[in-house]
Amino acid sequence: MLAIRDLHLSFNGNEILKGIDLTVNKGDVVTLIGPSGTGKTTLLRCINCLENPSKGEITLSDLQLNYETISKKDILKLRRKTAMVFQQFNLFKNKTVLENVMEAQIIVQGKKKEEAYKKSIEELEKVGLLDKLESYPSELSGGQQQRVSIARALALEPELILFDEPTSSLDPELVGEVLRVIENVARSGVTIVLVTHEMSFAQSISTKIVFMDKGVIVEEGSPQFIFEDSNNERTKAFLNHFKSNQTVGV
Amino acid sequence: MDIGYMIEIFPKLISTLPISLLIILTSSILGLMLSIVITALRIKRIKFLSPILEAYISFMRSIPILLLLFLVYYGLPVFFSLLNLNMNDLSAIVSAMITLIIFNGAYLSEILRPAYLAVEKGQHEAADSLGYTSFTKIRKFIIPQMAPVALPGLGNAVIYLIHDTSLVFTIGIVDIMGKANLIMANSYGENKVEVFLTIAIIYWMVCLLSDRFIKLCENHTYLRKIENKRAFNSQSLKLHQKFTKRNIKSNLD
Repeated sequence: MLAIRDLHLSFNGNEILKGIDLTVNKGDVVTLIGPSGTGKTTLLRCINCLENPSKGEITLSDLQLNYETISKKDILKLRRKTAMVFQQFNLFKNKTVLENVMEAQIIVQGKKKEEAYKKSIEELEKVGLLDKLESYPSELSGGQQQRVSIARALALEPELILFDEPTSSLDPELVGEVLRVIENVARSGVTIVLVTHEMSFAQSISTKIVFMDKGVIVEEGSPQFIFEDSNNERTKAFLNHFKSNQTVGV
Repeated sequence: MDIGYMIEIFPKLISTLPISLLIILTSSILGLMLSIVITALRIKRIKFLSPILEAYISFMRSIPILLLLFLVYYGLPVFFSLLNLNMNDLSAIVSAMITLIIFNGAYLSEILRPAYLAVEKGQHEAADSLGYTSFTKIRKFIIPQMAPVALPGLGNAVIYLIHDTSLVFTIGIVDIMGKANLIMANSYGENKVEVFLTIAIIYWMVCLLSDRFIKLCENHTYLRKIENKRAFNSQSLKLHQKFTKRNIKSNLD
Protein backbone atom coordinates (compact mmCIF):
# COMPACT_ATOMS: atom_id res chain seq x y z
CA MET A 1 0.00 0.00 0.00
CA LEU A 2 2.90 2.33 0.83
CA ALA A 3 6.20 1.81 -0.92
CA ILE A 4 9.24 4.05 -0.72
CA ARG A 5 12.14 3.47 -3.08
CA ASP A 6 15.70 4.77 -2.78
CA LEU A 7 14.88 7.81 -0.64
CA HIS A 8 17.69 10.32 -0.14
CA LEU A 9 17.59 13.52 1.89
CA SER A 10 20.30 16.04 2.76
CA PHE A 11 20.43 19.04 5.09
CA ASN A 12 23.15 21.58 4.30
CA GLY A 13 25.31 18.94 2.66
CA ASN A 14 24.77 16.39 5.45
CA GLU A 15 23.12 13.28 4.14
CA ILE A 16 20.41 12.35 6.66
CA LEU A 17 18.71 9.56 4.72
CA LYS A 18 20.95 7.47 2.52
CA GLY A 19 18.72 5.40 0.30
CA ILE A 20 15.71 4.10 2.20
CA ASP A 21 13.44 1.34 0.89
CA LEU A 22 10.31 0.70 2.90
CA THR A 23 7.14 -1.23 2.22
CA VAL A 24 3.99 -1.08 4.32
CA ASN A 25 0.99 -3.30 3.65
CA LYS A 26 -2.60 -2.46 4.38
CA GLY A 27 -3.40 -2.95 8.06
CA ASP A 28 0.25 -3.08 9.04
CA VAL A 29 1.58 -1.43 12.18
CA VAL A 30 5.16 -0.59 11.27
CA THR A 31 7.38 0.83 14.00
CA LEU A 32 10.63 2.64 13.29
CA ILE A 33 13.19 2.29 16.08
CA GLY A 34 16.81 3.29 16.39
CA PRO A 35 19.19 5.76 18.07
CA SER A 36 18.40 9.49 18.19
CA GLY A 37 19.43 11.49 15.13
CA THR A 38 19.11 8.49 12.85
CA GLY A 39 16.44 9.96 10.61
CA LYS A 40 13.37 8.05 11.82
CA THR A 41 11.28 11.17 12.24
CA THR A 42 12.68 12.63 9.02
CA LEU A 43 11.65 9.50 7.13
CA LEU A 44 8.15 9.75 8.59
CA ARG A 45 7.94 13.41 7.58
CA CYS A 46 8.98 12.56 4.03
CA ILE A 47 5.86 10.41 3.68
CA ASN A 48 3.61 13.49 3.84
CA CYS A 49 6.15 15.89 2.34
CA LEU A 50 6.85 17.96 5.42
CA GLU A 51 10.44 17.42 4.30
CA ASN A 52 11.84 17.78 0.81
CA PRO A 53 13.78 14.66 -0.15
CA SER A 54 16.44 15.18 -2.80
CA LYS A 55 15.72 11.88 -4.51
CA GLY A 56 13.37 8.93 -4.33
CA GLU A 57 9.95 7.58 -5.20
CA ILE A 58 6.84 7.03 -3.17
CA THR A 59 3.76 4.98 -3.92
CA LEU A 60 0.68 5.36 -1.76
CA SER A 61 -2.26 3.26 -2.96
CA ASP A 62 -3.06 4.75 -6.40
CA LEU A 63 -0.61 7.66 -6.15
CA GLN A 64 2.81 7.17 -7.66
CA LEU A 65 5.20 10.07 -7.25
CA ASN A 66 8.82 10.98 -7.73
CA TYR A 67 10.16 13.42 -5.13
CA GLU A 68 12.26 15.27 -7.69
CA THR A 69 9.28 16.17 -9.86
CA ILE A 70 6.53 16.36 -7.26
CA SER A 71 4.04 19.22 -7.73
CA LYS A 72 2.08 21.19 -5.14
CA LYS A 73 -1.09 19.43 -6.25
CA ASP A 74 0.50 16.02 -5.74
CA ILE A 75 1.74 17.03 -2.30
CA LEU A 76 -1.80 18.04 -1.36
CA LYS A 77 -3.16 14.70 -2.65
CA LEU A 78 -0.53 12.80 -0.68
CA ARG A 79 -1.30 14.74 2.48
CA ARG A 80 -5.01 14.15 2.12
CA LYS A 81 -4.50 10.40 2.14
CA THR A 82 -2.46 10.53 5.34
CA ALA A 83 -2.73 12.10 8.78
CA MET A 84 -0.02 12.82 11.29
CA VAL A 85 0.15 12.83 15.07
CA PHE A 86 3.01 15.04 16.25
CA GLN A 87 5.36 14.83 19.20
CA GLN A 88 4.30 18.35 20.23
CA PHE A 89 0.57 17.63 19.57
CA ASN A 90 0.23 20.78 17.41
CA LEU A 91 -3.46 21.27 18.03
CA PHE A 92 -4.70 24.56 16.59
CA LYS A 93 -4.45 26.95 19.50
CA ASN A 94 -7.21 29.26 18.31
CA LYS A 95 -9.75 26.45 17.99
CA THR A 96 -11.67 24.44 20.56
CA VAL A 97 -11.31 20.68 20.84
CA LEU A 98 -14.43 20.12 18.76
CA GLU A 99 -13.35 22.63 16.10
CA ASN A 100 -9.92 21.02 15.93
CA VAL A 101 -11.48 17.67 15.10
CA MET A 102 -14.31 18.99 12.93
CA GLU A 103 -12.78 21.64 10.70
CA ALA A 104 -10.53 19.65 8.42
CA GLN A 105 -13.44 17.32 7.63
CA ILE A 106 -15.51 20.28 6.46
CA ILE A 107 -12.84 22.40 4.80
CA VAL A 108 -10.48 19.78 3.41
CA GLN A 109 -12.88 16.92 2.75
CA GLY A 110 -15.99 18.97 2.04
CA LYS A 111 -18.21 17.03 4.43
CA LYS A 112 -21.47 18.49 5.65
CA LYS A 113 -21.36 20.12 9.09
CA GLU A 114 -23.76 17.66 10.64
CA GLU A 115 -21.84 14.67 9.33
CA ALA A 116 -18.52 16.13 10.51
CA TYR A 117 -20.01 16.81 13.92
CA LYS A 118 -21.24 13.23 14.29
CA LYS A 119 -17.86 11.83 13.24
CA SER A 120 -16.03 14.17 15.64
CA ILE A 121 -18.20 13.15 18.57
CA GLU A 122 -17.66 9.51 17.69
CA GLU A 123 -13.86 9.89 17.60
CA LEU A 124 -13.71 12.05 20.72
CA GLU A 125 -15.76 9.48 22.56
CA LYS A 126 -13.26 6.80 21.61
CA VAL A 127 -10.43 8.83 23.16
CA GLY A 128 -12.57 9.67 26.20
CA LEU A 129 -12.77 13.44 25.84
CA LEU A 130 -16.46 14.13 25.33
CA ASP A 131 -16.44 16.41 28.37
CA LYS A 132 -13.82 18.73 26.82
CA LEU A 133 -15.57 19.68 23.57
CA GLU A 134 -15.53 23.41 24.28
CA SER A 135 -12.06 23.53 25.83
CA TYR A 136 -9.12 25.18 24.12
CA PRO A 137 -5.85 23.21 23.81
CA SER A 138 -4.16 25.46 26.39
CA GLU A 139 -6.71 24.27 28.95
CA LEU A 140 -5.82 20.59 28.51
CA SER A 141 -3.02 18.39 29.82
CA GLY A 142 -0.45 17.05 27.40
CA GLY A 143 -2.04 13.60 27.40
CA GLN A 144 -5.47 15.04 26.67
CA GLN A 145 -4.06 17.19 23.86
CA GLN A 146 -2.41 14.18 22.29
CA ARG A 147 -5.66 12.21 22.50
CA VAL A 148 -7.49 15.04 20.74
CA SER A 149 -4.81 15.10 18.08
CA ILE A 150 -5.31 11.36 17.52
CA ALA A 151 -9.06 11.94 17.23
CA ARG A 152 -8.38 14.75 14.73
CA ALA A 153 -6.29 12.36 12.62
CA LEU A 154 -8.80 9.49 12.82
CA ALA A 155 -11.77 11.70 11.97
CA LEU A 156 -10.34 12.15 8.48
CA GLU A 157 -10.36 8.39 7.95
CA PRO A 158 -6.91 8.48 6.34
CA GLU A 159 -5.44 5.48 4.56
CA LEU A 160 -2.33 5.82 6.69
CA ILE A 161 -1.65 7.42 10.08
CA LEU A 162 1.83 8.62 10.94
CA PHE A 163 2.73 8.80 14.63
CA ASP A 164 5.84 10.84 15.34
CA GLU A 165 7.07 10.01 18.86
CA PRO A 166 3.57 10.57 20.24
CA THR A 167 4.55 10.09 23.89
CA SER A 168 8.02 11.65 23.95
CA SER A 169 6.99 15.04 25.30
CA LEU A 170 4.50 13.73 27.84
CA ASP A 171 4.91 13.49 31.59
CA PRO A 172 5.57 9.84 32.51
CA GLU A 173 2.21 9.41 34.23
CA LEU A 174 0.38 10.55 31.08
CA VAL A 175 2.13 8.17 28.68
CA GLY A 176 -0.17 5.26 29.51
CA GLU A 177 -3.44 6.93 28.52
CA VAL A 178 -2.04 7.84 25.09
CA LEU A 179 -0.51 4.41 24.47
CA ARG A 180 -3.86 2.78 25.26
CA VAL A 181 -5.54 4.97 22.66
CA ILE A 182 -2.91 4.14 20.04
CA GLU A 183 -3.28 0.46 20.85
CA ASN A 184 -7.01 0.68 20.15
CA VAL A 185 -6.30 2.44 16.85
CA ALA A 186 -3.88 -0.31 15.88
CA ARG A 187 -6.42 -3.00 16.77
CA SER A 188 -9.09 -1.33 14.63
CA GLY A 189 -7.09 -2.23 11.52
CA VAL A 190 -5.87 1.24 10.49
CA THR A 191 -2.50 1.23 8.76
CA ILE A 192 0.11 2.86 10.99
CA VAL A 193 3.70 3.97 10.74
CA LEU A 194 5.01 4.81 14.18
CA VAL A 195 8.24 6.25 15.57
CA THR A 196 8.69 5.57 19.27
CA HIS A 197 11.17 4.93 22.03
CA GLU A 198 8.66 2.84 23.99
CA MET A 199 10.26 -0.50 23.17
CA SER A 200 7.90 -2.85 24.97
CA PHE A 201 4.94 -1.02 23.43
CA ALA A 202 6.50 -1.31 19.98
CA GLN A 203 7.06 -5.01 20.54
CA SER A 204 3.47 -5.64 21.59
CA ILE A 205 1.54 -3.71 18.92
CA SER A 206 3.71 -3.86 15.81
CA THR A 207 3.37 -6.25 12.91
CA LYS A 208 6.78 -5.14 11.68
CA ILE A 209 9.78 -3.44 13.32
CA VAL A 210 12.25 -1.43 11.27
CA PHE A 211 15.61 -0.75 12.92
CA MET A 212 17.40 2.32 11.54
CA ASP A 213 20.87 3.63 12.24
CA LYS A 214 22.80 6.52 10.67
CA GLY A 215 20.37 7.12 7.83
CA VAL A 216 19.90 3.55 6.64
CA ILE A 217 17.61 0.68 7.48
CA VAL A 218 19.80 -1.87 9.20
CA GLU A 219 17.22 -4.61 9.38
CA GLU A 220 13.52 -5.21 9.55
CA GLY A 221 11.28 -8.04 10.57
CA SER A 222 8.65 -9.25 13.00
CA PRO A 223 8.92 -8.01 16.61
CA GLN A 224 9.90 -11.55 17.60
CA PHE A 225 12.76 -11.54 15.09
CA ILE A 226 14.14 -8.07 15.94
CA PHE A 227 13.79 -8.23 19.71
CA GLU A 228 14.70 -11.90 20.27
CA ASP A 229 16.38 -13.53 17.31
CA SER A 230 18.43 -10.82 15.63
CA ASN A 231 22.10 -11.59 15.05
CA ASN A 232 22.96 -8.10 13.86
CA GLU A 233 25.55 -6.43 16.12
CA ARG A 234 24.09 -2.92 15.81
CA THR A 235 20.55 -4.05 16.57
CA LYS A 236 21.72 -6.04 19.56
CA ALA A 237 23.83 -3.17 20.89
CA PHE A 238 20.91 -0.74 20.58
CA LEU A 239 18.41 -3.04 22.26
CA ASN A 240 20.85 -4.01 25.02
CA HIS A 241 21.38 -0.36 25.72
CA PHE A 242 17.63 -0.05 26.20
CA LYS A 243 17.42 -3.09 28.43
CA SER A 244 20.24 -1.87 30.68
CA ASN A 245 18.66 1.60 30.79
CA GLN A 246 15.34 0.12 31.76
CA THR A 247 16.80 -1.91 34.59
CA VAL A 248 18.48 1.19 35.97
CA GLY A 249 15.07 2.77 35.75
CA VAL A 250 15.88 5.67 33.43
CA MET B 1 -8.05 81.47 29.11
CA ASP B 2 -11.13 82.20 27.07
CA ILE B 3 -13.36 79.14 27.11
CA GLY B 4 -16.08 80.96 25.19
CA TYR B 5 -13.61 81.48 22.35
CA MET B 6 -12.66 77.81 22.38
CA ILE B 7 -16.32 76.84 22.06
CA GLU B 8 -16.68 79.37 19.25
CA ILE B 9 -13.81 78.00 17.15
CA PHE B 10 -14.56 74.34 17.88
CA PRO B 11 -17.07 73.91 15.01
CA LYS B 12 -14.69 75.62 12.58
CA LEU B 13 -11.90 73.24 13.51
CA ILE B 14 -14.09 70.15 13.57
CA SER B 15 -15.34 71.00 10.06
CA THR B 16 -11.88 70.07 8.74
CA LEU B 17 -11.88 66.75 10.58
CA PRO B 18 -13.19 64.81 7.53
CA ILE B 19 -9.98 65.67 5.66
CA SER B 20 -7.82 64.40 8.51
CA LEU B 21 -10.00 61.29 8.84
CA LEU B 22 -9.82 60.67 5.09
CA ILE B 23 -6.03 60.77 5.22
CA ILE B 24 -5.89 58.62 8.37
CA LEU B 25 -8.30 55.95 7.08
CA THR B 26 -6.88 55.73 3.56
CA SER B 27 -3.28 55.58 4.68
CA SER B 28 -3.91 53.11 7.49
CA ILE B 29 -5.90 50.71 5.30
CA LEU B 30 -3.67 50.92 2.23
CA GLY B 31 -0.56 51.07 4.43
CA LEU B 32 -1.65 47.86 6.15
CA MET B 33 -2.27 46.19 2.79
CA LEU B 34 1.15 47.26 1.54
CA SER B 35 2.77 46.03 4.74
CA ILE B 36 1.08 42.62 4.36
CA VAL B 37 2.56 42.29 0.87
CA ILE B 38 5.98 43.41 2.12
CA THR B 39 5.86 41.04 5.10
CA ALA B 40 4.87 38.14 2.86
CA LEU B 41 7.74 38.91 0.48
CA ARG B 42 10.21 39.24 3.36
CA ILE B 43 9.13 35.91 4.84
CA LYS B 44 9.51 34.16 1.47
CA ARG B 45 13.13 35.42 1.33
CA ILE B 46 13.29 36.01 -2.41
CA LYS B 47 16.91 36.32 -3.44
CA PHE B 48 17.01 39.64 -5.31
CA LEU B 49 14.09 41.27 -3.60
CA SER B 50 15.13 40.80 0.02
CA PRO B 51 18.05 43.28 0.09
CA ILE B 52 15.92 45.86 -1.71
CA LEU B 53 13.12 45.46 0.82
CA GLU B 54 15.53 45.68 3.74
CA ALA B 55 17.00 48.89 2.31
CA TYR B 56 13.50 50.32 1.79
CA ILE B 57 12.48 49.54 5.37
CA SER B 58 15.71 50.88 6.80
CA PHE B 59 15.32 54.11 4.77
CA MET B 60 11.70 54.60 5.80
CA ARG B 61 12.43 54.07 9.45
CA SER B 62 15.42 56.39 9.41
CA ILE B 63 14.20 59.58 7.82
CA PRO B 64 11.83 61.98 9.61
CA ILE B 65 8.29 61.80 8.32
CA LEU B 66 8.31 65.55 7.61
CA LEU B 67 11.27 65.13 5.30
CA LEU B 68 9.59 62.19 3.58
CA LEU B 69 6.49 64.32 3.06
CA PHE B 70 8.55 67.02 1.31
CA LEU B 71 10.42 64.44 -0.74
CA VAL B 72 7.16 62.99 -2.04
CA TYR B 73 5.41 66.31 -2.54
CA TYR B 74 8.27 68.03 -4.38
CA GLY B 75 10.12 64.98 -5.60
CA LEU B 76 7.41 62.86 -7.22
CA PRO B 77 6.53 65.38 -9.96
CA VAL B 78 10.25 65.70 -10.77
CA PHE B 79 10.60 61.93 -10.81
CA PHE B 80 7.59 61.52 -13.12
CA SER B 81 8.78 64.27 -15.47
CA LEU B 82 12.00 62.30 -15.89
CA LEU B 83 9.77 59.49 -17.15
CA ASN B 84 8.04 61.98 -19.44
CA LEU B 85 4.85 61.82 -17.42
CA ASN B 86 3.09 64.98 -16.45
CA MET B 87 2.28 64.73 -12.77
CA ASN B 88 2.34 68.38 -11.85
CA ASP B 89 -1.26 68.13 -10.78
CA LEU B 90 -0.45 65.67 -8.05
CA SER B 91 -2.53 67.16 -5.28
CA ALA B 92 -1.23 67.79 -1.79
CA ILE B 93 -3.70 65.34 -0.28
CA VAL B 94 -2.59 62.54 -2.59
CA SER B 95 1.05 63.31 -1.77
CA ALA B 96 0.27 63.16 1.93
CA MET B 97 -1.48 59.82 1.48
CA ILE B 98 1.36 58.37 -0.59
CA THR B 99 3.85 59.49 2.07
CA LEU B 100 1.94 57.88 4.90
CA ILE B 101 1.21 54.70 2.91
CA ILE B 102 4.83 54.03 1.96
CA PHE B 103 5.95 54.93 5.48
CA ASN B 104 3.43 52.65 7.16
CA GLY B 105 3.99 49.88 4.64
CA ALA B 106 7.52 49.63 6.02
CA TYR B 107 6.72 50.43 9.65
CA LEU B 108 3.80 48.00 9.99
CA SER B 109 5.75 45.16 8.42
CA GLU B 110 8.15 45.50 11.36
CA ILE B 111 5.12 44.69 13.55
CA LEU B 112 3.62 41.96 11.38
CA ARG B 113 6.81 40.02 10.76
CA PRO B 114 7.60 39.24 14.41
CA ALA B 115 3.91 38.40 14.92
CA TYR B 116 4.13 35.90 12.07
CA LEU B 117 7.33 34.42 13.44
CA ALA B 118 5.69 34.10 16.87
CA VAL B 119 3.27 31.48 15.48
CA GLU B 120 4.87 28.10 16.12
CA LYS B 121 6.13 26.08 13.20
CA GLY B 122 4.04 23.16 14.46
CA GLN B 123 0.84 25.06 13.65
CA HIS B 124 1.92 25.29 10.01
CA GLU B 125 2.93 21.64 9.94
CA ALA B 126 -0.34 20.48 11.49
CA ALA B 127 -2.38 22.36 8.89
CA ASP B 128 -0.10 21.16 6.07
CA SER B 129 -0.28 17.56 7.21
CA LEU B 130 -4.09 17.69 7.25
CA GLY B 131 -4.10 18.85 3.63
CA TYR B 132 -5.11 22.50 4.02
CA THR B 133 -4.12 24.80 1.16
CA SER B 134 -1.72 27.54 2.26
CA PHE B 135 -4.33 30.25 1.77
CA THR B 136 -6.85 28.51 4.04
CA LYS B 137 -4.14 27.70 6.55
CA ILE B 138 -3.17 31.37 6.83
CA ARG B 139 -6.76 32.57 7.02
CA LYS B 140 -7.95 29.98 9.55
CA PHE B 141 -4.97 29.54 11.85
CA ILE B 142 -2.05 31.86 11.20
CA ILE B 143 -3.76 35.26 11.08
CA PRO B 144 -5.99 34.51 14.11
CA GLN B 145 -2.86 33.56 16.06
CA MET B 146 -0.91 36.59 14.83
CA ALA B 147 -3.69 38.96 15.87
CA PRO B 148 -3.18 39.03 19.65
CA VAL B 149 0.56 39.57 19.13
CA ALA B 150 0.24 42.27 16.48
CA LEU B 151 -2.78 44.26 17.65
CA PRO B 152 -1.14 46.29 20.46
CA GLY B 153 1.64 47.32 18.05
CA LEU B 154 -0.86 48.12 15.30
CA GLY B 155 -2.85 50.21 17.78
CA ASN B 156 0.23 52.27 18.59
CA ALA B 157 1.00 52.63 14.90
CA VAL B 158 -2.46 54.09 14.26
CA ILE B 159 -1.90 56.64 17.02
CA TYR B 160 1.44 57.62 15.51
CA LEU B 161 -0.27 57.90 12.14
CA ILE B 162 -2.86 60.24 13.63
CA HIS B 163 -0.04 62.35 15.07
CA ASP B 164 1.79 62.33 11.74
CA THR B 165 -1.20 63.77 9.91
CA SER B 166 -0.68 66.95 11.93
CA LEU B 167 2.29 67.64 9.63
CA VAL B 168 0.41 67.70 6.34
CA PHE B 169 -0.50 71.39 6.77
CA THR B 170 3.13 72.10 5.82
CA ILE B 171 2.32 71.25 2.19
CA GLY B 172 -0.78 73.39 2.25
CA ILE B 173 -3.52 70.98 3.27
CA VAL B 174 -6.17 72.61 5.44
CA ASP B 175 -6.66 69.88 7.99
CA ILE B 176 -7.25 70.58 11.69
CA MET B 177 -3.74 71.89 12.14
CA GLY B 178 -3.95 73.94 8.95
CA LYS B 179 -7.27 75.42 10.03
CA ALA B 180 -5.80 76.25 13.41
CA ASN B 181 -3.00 78.18 11.73
CA LEU B 182 -5.53 80.10 9.60
CA ILE B 183 -7.61 80.97 12.65
CA MET B 184 -4.53 82.21 14.48
CA ALA B 185 -3.45 84.28 11.50
CA ASN B 186 -6.91 85.87 11.25
CA SER B 187 -6.89 86.83 14.91
CA TYR B 188 -3.41 88.40 14.64
CA GLY B 189 -1.77 85.76 16.81
CA GLU B 190 -4.15 86.29 19.70
CA ASN B 191 -5.56 83.36 21.70
CA LYS B 192 -2.91 80.90 20.48
CA VAL B 193 -3.16 78.75 23.60
CA GLU B 194 -6.92 78.40 23.23
CA VAL B 195 -6.57 77.26 19.62
CA PHE B 196 -3.84 74.73 20.40
CA LEU B 197 -5.75 73.42 23.40
CA THR B 198 -8.88 72.96 21.30
CA ILE B 199 -7.10 70.93 18.63
CA ALA B 200 -5.33 68.94 21.36
CA ILE B 201 -8.77 67.94 22.61
CA ILE B 202 -9.85 66.99 19.08
CA TYR B 203 -6.74 64.80 18.59
CA TRP B 204 -7.41 63.22 21.95
CA MET B 205 -10.95 62.31 20.91
CA VAL B 206 -9.77 60.82 17.63
CA CYS B 207 -7.15 58.73 19.45
CA LEU B 208 -9.72 57.55 21.98
CA LEU B 209 -11.90 56.38 19.12
CA SER B 210 -9.05 54.48 17.45
CA ASP B 211 -8.19 52.94 20.84
CA ARG B 212 -11.77 51.78 21.15
CA PHE B 213 -11.62 50.20 17.73
CA ILE B 214 -8.39 48.33 18.51
CA LYS B 215 -9.81 47.13 21.87
CA LEU B 216 -12.86 45.89 19.99
CA CYS B 217 -10.61 43.91 17.66
CA GLU B 218 -8.63 42.57 20.61
CA ASN B 219 -11.84 41.34 22.21
CA HIS B 220 -12.36 39.10 19.21
CA THR B 221 -9.01 37.32 19.42
CA TYR B 222 -8.93 33.74 20.60
CA LEU B 223 -6.76 34.54 23.62
CA ARG B 224 -9.40 36.96 24.89
CA LYS B 225 -12.09 34.32 24.35
CA ILE B 226 -10.16 31.89 26.55
CA GLU B 227 -9.66 34.59 29.21
CA ASN B 228 -13.33 35.52 29.15
CA LYS B 229 -14.31 31.91 29.49
CA ARG B 230 -12.12 31.53 32.57
CA ALA B 231 -13.45 34.73 34.06
CA PHE B 232 -17.00 33.59 33.38
CA ASN B 233 -16.37 30.21 34.95
CA SER B 234 -14.87 31.66 38.11
CA GLN B 235 -17.67 34.23 38.27
CA SER B 236 -20.42 31.68 37.92
CA LEU B 237 -18.61 29.60 40.52
CA LYS B 238 -18.66 32.57 42.93
CA LEU B 239 -22.33 33.17 42.21
CA HIS B 240 -23.05 29.52 42.77
CA GLN B 241 -21.26 29.57 46.11
CA LYS B 242 -23.01 32.77 47.09
CA PHE B 243 -26.44 31.38 46.34
CA THR B 244 -25.83 28.02 47.92
CA LYS B 245 -24.67 29.81 51.09
CA ARG B 246 -27.84 31.89 51.01
CA ASN B 247 -29.95 28.80 50.61
CA ILE B 248 -28.29 27.23 53.59
CA LYS B 249 -28.86 30.40 55.60
CA SER B 250 -32.52 30.68 54.64
CA ASN B 251 -32.99 27.05 55.51
CA LEU B 252 -31.48 27.70 58.90
CA ASP B 253 -33.72 30.71 59.41
